[in-house]
Amino acid sequence: MDTGGLSLDQAPPIDIPARFFLTAPLFAIAAGLLLAWEGPTLLVSRWMPGALAATHLIAIGYLGSIMCGALLQMLPVVAGAPVPGVRLVGTATHLLLTVGAAGLAWGLGGGGPTLIWIGAGASALGFLVFVVPVAIALMRARGAPGTLLALRTAALALAVTVALGLLLVAVLQGWLRVAHHTPWVDSHVAWGLMGWVGLLVVGVAIQVLPMFYVTPAYPAPMRRWFAPAVLVGIGAASTAWIMGDELVGRAVIGGVALGFVGFALVTLSSISRRERPRMDPTLLHWWAAMLSLCCAALAWVFAAPPTLVGVLLLVGLGVGLPAGMLFKILPFLTWFHLQHRQLSSGRFDLRIPHMGSLLSIRWARIQFGLHLAALMLLAGSLWVPVLARPAGIALALSSILLLVLLIGVARTYRRGAVLLRPAPSRVEPQS
Amino acid sequence: MTDSIATYMTDDHQRCDHLLAACERAVSGGDWNRLAAQTTDFSKALIGHFDMEEQILFPELVAVMPWASGPTGMMTMEHGQMRALVEQLDEAVHAQDADACLGILETLHLVTQQHNAKEEGILYPMAEESLGDQTPDILNRLQAG
Repeated sequence: MDTGGLSLDQAPPIDIPARFFLTAPLFAIAAGLLLAWEGPTLLVSRWMPGALAATHLIAIGYLGSIMCGALLQMLPVVAGAPVPGVRLVGTATHLLLTVGAAGLAWGLGGGGPTLIWIGAGASALGFLVFVVPVAIALMRARGAPGTLLALRTAALALAVTVALGLLLVAVLQGWLRVAHHTPWVDSHVAWGLMGWVGLLVVGVAIQVLPMFYVTPAYPAPMRRWFAPAVLVGIGAASTAWIMGDELVGRAVIGGVALGFVGFALVTLSSISRRERPRMDPTLLHWWAAMLSLCCAALAWVFAAPPTLVGVLLLVGLGVGLPAGMLFKILPFLTWFHLQHRQLSSGRFDLRIPHMGSLLSIRWARIQFGLHLAALMLLAGSLWVPVLARPAGIALALSSILLLVLLIGVARTYRRGAVLLRPAPSRVEPQS
Repeated sequence: MTDSIATYMTDDHQRCDHLLAACERAVSGGDWNRLAAQTTDFSKALIGHFDMEEQILFPELVAVMPWASGPTGMMTMEHGQMRALVEQLDEAVHAQDADACLGILETLHLVTQQHNAKEEGILYPMAEESLGDQTPDILNRLQAG
């Protein structure tokens, strides 16, 4: 009988996901400080060097890192599919994405073509090192078909995003020539934001919201058809753009955006029908992220400035939702791994702190408040430019608070891990 | 009544989820007597579920598939973790410590969910495949227990 994937203890060592989670907030802090430093000019258009730098700090350094770390952790549990060579894959991906995000952002922000090239190369290599073993794990996976489908399509979208990004770098370097940049950039953005980020959020929501909050399951047609439809839609739209048919591309992407609005509304409705009563900080972030998603689609339909759509998706969804998920994931992993240490050390006299005492819900709520303030100031600054600097400061502050809270959890883990060292099998010295 | 072990056991997981949510609502309501009653209902259901698995389902599974003792051993160990959390919950309810109750319920909920995901995704389907003809008999014993 095939026993592949049947071992039930496959969680990677805690330091693998934790390293992604602990460095990610640094990039959101950097994006906030960059905005505070440059002020309203950064938000004049999506082509501003500062805007490109902030976008990639958030998209690769923050969002990319957290998503990769969380997937390495999540795949064995939800799909019985451990990622082969997880320690090597995790270490290499983390290192390359960190260096890549910093280099690419610095280069795009004015550091010049060499830095862009190095940063993009490192990021692409980081995602490649990640996506190949994850694809192997996903092919072996069994379990919830809706989630798996969304995760598989998201991984595919990541590969396309990276390929298009590399192509754009080649164009920037003058190695390749294309008639117009814009359709290629738009395609890169659509594959990245709607394909990779969007479908990963869908996959996680389908799996995690009913599990975490005891909500009704997502409707079966949405679980089965949404992810492939999005993939086909983005593929059709980007082909239309590149062939020069702007109008068809816009219409198709409008359809995809409408689909995501439907997903957000279903999500908001299931959240309101959950059985677990508490509105915890994670749920607050889900709620704000789904509203941001709806607002982004509305803004796009009413031809608001593209920077508004970008701000709502990147900050409202991209910065907020992962922060909310980390409030649950890191304390849970800490508890889980300390438990295992307790079993192997036999120190049953020590009590493992429960999740409520690992991370302060009160401070997590304050973090959500700061995040919401940053989001509103950012959106407002597109009309009232003087708000841009305070928006940057609020973004940096909310991310600093996130980092401080996560470091607090990591320190508790360290202290517990020292106390719970496996008992050494040595003979007691005789007195 | 269902004729599938996986469905029967998954429904029982969901019954426990609903009972845990009811405990949380009782904490929010601030009625400690009601919470004590809810906690008793919940822990009876949860521990009863563990007993069904440890005393009936797992031994039957290992009898037809000896190598299953690895995965079932892991599941039994996780039952131990959850039993310990249920004891902590009882203490917190007696101490009338609402924050501790919510923190322990949250931990218990997440441990249960990842545990259930593994059972529902891997172990129960495996049991269905390998137990074959014995299914009706085992189901009867599970339902009687």
